[in-house]
Amino acid sequence: MMLDKLLGLFQMPHDASVHGWRIDSLIQITNTFILIMFGVVVAWIAISMLFHGRKHKAEYDTGDGRKQMIKAACLSVLIFGVVDGNLFASGMADLNDVFWDFDRAEASPNVVRVQVNAHQWAWDFRQAGADGAFNTADDIVSLNELRVPVGAPVVFQIGATDVLHSLSFPNMRVKQDAVPGTITRLWFQAKETGAFDIACAQHCGTHHYKMRGKLFVMPMAEYRDWATEASKLGQRGNDPEDHGAMWGWNWEKARP
Amino acid sequence: MTAATSPVDRTHLHRNGTALLGMMMFMASWAMLFSALFFAYFLVRQKALQWPPEDLPTLPVMLPGLATALLALSSAALQRGLNRIRGGLTGAAMNVGGATILGAAFLICQVVLWQQLVGAGLVPASGTYASIFYTFTVFHALHVLIGVGALMVLTVSAARGRFKAESHIPLRLWTLYWHMVGVIWGLMFVTLFLL
Amino acid sequence: MDLQPIHPPPTSFLRRYVFSTDHKVIARQFLWAGLFLLAFGGILAMLIRWQWAFPGQKVPVLGQIVLSRSDGKLTPASYNAVFTMHGLIMIFWAITPILIGSFGNLIIPLQIGARDMAFPTLNMLSFWVFIVSTIVLVMSFFVQLGSASAGWTTYPPLATQVGTPGHGQTMVVAALFLVGVATIMGAINYVTTVIRFRAPGMTYMRMPLAVWGLWLTSILNILFVPVLGAAGLLLILDRVFGTQFFISGAAAVRGGGDPILFQHLFWIFGHPEVYILILPAWGIVADLVSFFGRKPAYWYKGSVYAMCAVTILSAVVYGHHMFTTGMNPMLGKAFMILTLLISAPAELLFLNWLHTIWKGSLRLTTPMLFTLGVVFVFALGGLTGLYLATISTDLYLHDTMFVVGHFHLTMAAASFLASFAGIHFWFPKLFGRRMNETLGKIHFWLSISLITIVFCGQLAVGYAGAPRRMWDPHQYPFLANLAWLNQWTSYFAFALGAAQLIFVVNFVRNAIARPNAEPNPWQVGTLEWTLSSPPPVHNFDVIPTVVRGPHVLSHPEVQRTLGRDWISQTEDLPGGSV
Ligand code: HEA
Ligand code: HEA
Ligand code: CUA
Ligand SMILES: [Cu+2]
Repeated sequence: MMLDKLLGLFQMPHDASVHGWRIDSLIQITNTFILIMFGVVVAWIAISMLFHGRKHKAEYDTGDGRKQMIKAACLSVLIFGVVDGNLFASGMADLNDVFWDFDRAEASPNVVRVQVNAHQWAWDFRQAGADGAFNTADDIVSLNELRVPVGAPVVFQIGATDVLHSLSFPNMRVKQDAVPGTITRLWFQAKETGAFDIACAQHCGTHHYKMRGKLFVMPMAEYRDWATEASKLGQRGNDPEDHGAMWGWNWEKARP
Repeated sequence: MTAATSPVDRTHLHRNGTALLGMMMFMASWAMLFSALFFAYFLVRQKALQWPPEDLPTLPVMLPGLATALLALSSAALQRGLNRIRGGLTGAAMNVGGATILGAAFLICQVVLWQQLVGAGLVPASGTYASIFYTFTVFHALHVLIGVGALMVLTVSAARGRFKAESHIPLRLWTLYWHMVGVIWGLMFVTLFLL
Repeated sequence: MDLQPIHPPPTSFLRRYVFSTDHKVIARQFLWAGLFLLAFGGILAMLIRWQWAFPGQKVPVLGQIVLSRSDGKLTPASYNAVFTMHGLIMIFWAITPILIGSFGNLIIPLQIGARDMAFPTLNMLSFWVFIVSTIVLVMSFFVQLGSASAGWTTYPPLATQVGTPGHGQTMVVAALFLVGVATIMGAINYVTTVIRFRAPGMTYMRMPLAVWGLWLTSILNILFVPVLGAAGLLLILDRVFGTQFFISGAAAVRGGGDPILFQHLFWIFGHPEVYILILPAWGIVADLVSFFGRKPAYWYKGSVYAMCAVTILSAVVYGHHMFTTGMNPMLGKAFMILTLLISAPAELLFLNWLHTIWKGSLRLTTPMLFTLGVVFVFALGGLTGLYLATISTDLYLHDTMFVVGHFHLTMAAASFLASFAGIHFWFPKLFGRRMNETLGKIHFWLSISLITIVFCGQLAVGYAGAPRRMWDPHQYPFLANLAWLNQWTSYFAFALGAAQLIFVVNFVRNAIARPNAEPNPWQVGTLEWTLSSPPPVHNFDVIPTVVRGPHVLSHPEVQRTLGRDWISQTEDLPGGSV
């Protein structure tokens, strides 16, 4: 069918996160709602154009009879209640249960914490090394590449040095602005392994389009091995003179 | 106001009312502009680590206090002039002229204040505290400057007897403007120097 | 007794055509200026679409002329300037002057029965300040490092010297401040005129809805454009005098300021601004569906209340542009519910328009087609707002092309088409002629279909996750498969651009030809149609007395007594009850 084909143009990227379905299904619900409403509007206009044209005799109707007013008002309140009410309830639940519930994410025993420093035009990522503390010699630091385990909440604290950026994980359905002078937060939990894109979603200057990163979601055991190794490497490569390398911060202090 | 009977009077009154309404709109608009500046002040201050920063010179209170008094007096003088004209009395030019001089004196106080502070090392680029201070005072002073210019012209007009009890709309509008500039200064004085 | 004396028309050329205080002349001036800048913004749009289709390749034709320094290609830096200036020009220098500057000037005095604006000189100044702002804007293209490139939202720190050195960005912010001053001058005039100069009998509830729309828009302009002024002022200070309002991070002194502060100020203005652009369009739609449906506007008062509700609500929803800035969760949720709330009055308006055409006797003239087109695209545009209003779906869609699709459907389609509806409808009062209906209809059908396709193309790539403001989105592996979609969108966009030439021909030919239109070609009852086309300098020889609302169409009693389906707002109906 034609309509199917057209709607088929609307494809989201693969959902690789445990909670992404919430957003996808809410988008689906909204799709349904607006297609119905848009359909009604289009049909209404089309019927009027076809059948209530010049030849049709206009019916004098000011629409301000008591009953009519109540009907129109009720109808719009009804549409509002059903559509917006639904969106509001689901949206609130999504935020409260998942996307803005950082406490639960952080309380998880195998949570992975990442600090991010966004700058023109690259991402610095930092994970605490073997000592579990940020901004120490054994931190795992990487540029534009981020490795996280599957099935564990990954919590980010995000900062920026120069201008605004936005850390976006299209396959995880979430994004969060990076604001100089402030630390913002984000979390997701991957449900499958693989390599995914990291995008910068906020206009940040000439090479905004180039500010790409790569997210590698690994099996837990593999990730553990990698992290241990990377921490050691970090320790070895650490140059105590290079103060710029210590751009991280104390995790707990930055928690609101 | 006197009851208007002749058509000419009606037209005239109507025109005055229109001008007054337009002035109100303008003032509402400008009040929003200044509200936005105050909004900026509150957000910036809330975010600041220290307010006022310890390593910067502290703002004096006496000099701006004096300036505040001058501006308040100026407003009062202008209002008095307007009242005189409305009551059909003479001598309004003295009031308006006085208001002008007081306004100019306010400006002198501000210039002295800026000189002192720049000398002490507070420049616009010394962080948000200084940014707010200079933006508020300079932007406000520009409004005072415009006001003083207008009041000078009004003084001449008043001295020439241009304003009558029933026709003095420029004076009326500028008085409103002047009061608004005064009130805004009052708020600025409190936020910048006292809080 | 006459509150608005008739002045003799000016005789010198300058006073008549250049520095005229006649609202009708100023309306034409704004229209010409706005259309030229619309064409300018449209050309920039074509460059944007070229870039989305063929990133980094030589731009045919245009490239040789405007991009000769970079071998006919758009560099990433120039692309940023192109979309920034496209957005700014379209909003502030094209749609605003046409929809508000031109229509506001033309129809407010004519439809409420006034001889001119309340402050004619201020009105003239408003136009000339607008021109000065345009000059500053255009000059910014010629300074070193080029024009503004921080996006139309000019978010700092990118918009400070940290991100965009050079004078271009400063000049554009200054131009924005000036155009704001011009807008406020106009708005003060409109609001005052409506309050003070309504003809006897023209109560608020007898005003055409177009006047309502313009009036509410002007109130929003008066109150919220100054907030943009403040934001621009602080930004200029940061750029030129080294203040620290929006600087933060590495370049900050003593902790620095707050980049988010700018976003607050910008959107406190920016959200009302989008309703500023749509309210006049709504008003025009509400009137025209009635005029060409030959039926009264369904529940007139309901529409008025709904528009008022939107006006009020528009001031308290701005936070929905900042859901991902890390705002306080409570605040975010409050903004979500308030934003959703705004769709209730919008729904009522839709119901009223749709009821108005239902069981009517539709005359599908060009203005009516454009009007129905507005209803069509705005339904889609408004409804896509729902995805963005819900925070959790906005987490995915924010700053993608989906947002771009949403606002093109609302403003670049709805307000844009409403401009054409208005131009066609009031052309007799503007230039004393009617535009060619056949050309108009061809232009309409091409525009509506192409616009829908182009902007749905934007929605689709946004749905797939494509971030906006991308010089080359296809470098992202997950977007590489969208290249064909973007190319097709662009082909349709070029066709859309070409289709506008039909309008240019139709418009220019009729605007310069000799007036020949009848006073009331559309057979409607509002006051401007009681006058000749174009109206005389002082509009009304005698200020009319209004006895009924604007939409008395197909009233049985009128039909019986007068033998026609319309009656003027001033006409006496012998023994009648309407
Ligand atoms: C004319 C301009 C205009 C209008 C009218 C609107 C209208 C609305 N907008 Fe839009 N918006 C913009 C212009 C506009 N917008 C712009 C320019 C931006 C982005 C700026 C930028 O970032 O660059 C933006 C961005 C924007 C965002 C931020 C997105 C983001 O950055 O992530 C949001 C979020 O809530 C939003 C929501 C809404 C809502 C809820 C409405 C509502 O008012 C819509 C109400 C209408 C309806 C709900 C439809 C009507 C109802 C029906 C059709 C039903 C009838 C049905 C029957 C009778 C059966 N808009
Ligand atoms: C009302 C405002 C408006 C209008 C009308 C348009 C019109 C169009 N816009 Fe634009 N657009 C914006 C406002 C508008 N836009 C804004 C605010 C942005 C965001 C900028 C930012 O991110 O900072 C944007 C961004 C934007 C982008 C995203 C860029 C990016 O993020 O990378 C794209 C891409 O497709 C686009 C395309 C188009 C197209 C194809 C049209 C077409 O509809 C254009 C067709 C029109 C013409 C070709 C003009 C025809 C001329 C006439 C009819 C005049 C006749 C003249 C005489 C008689 C003298 N626009
Ligand atoms: Cu960083 Cu865009
Ligand atoms: Cu908005």
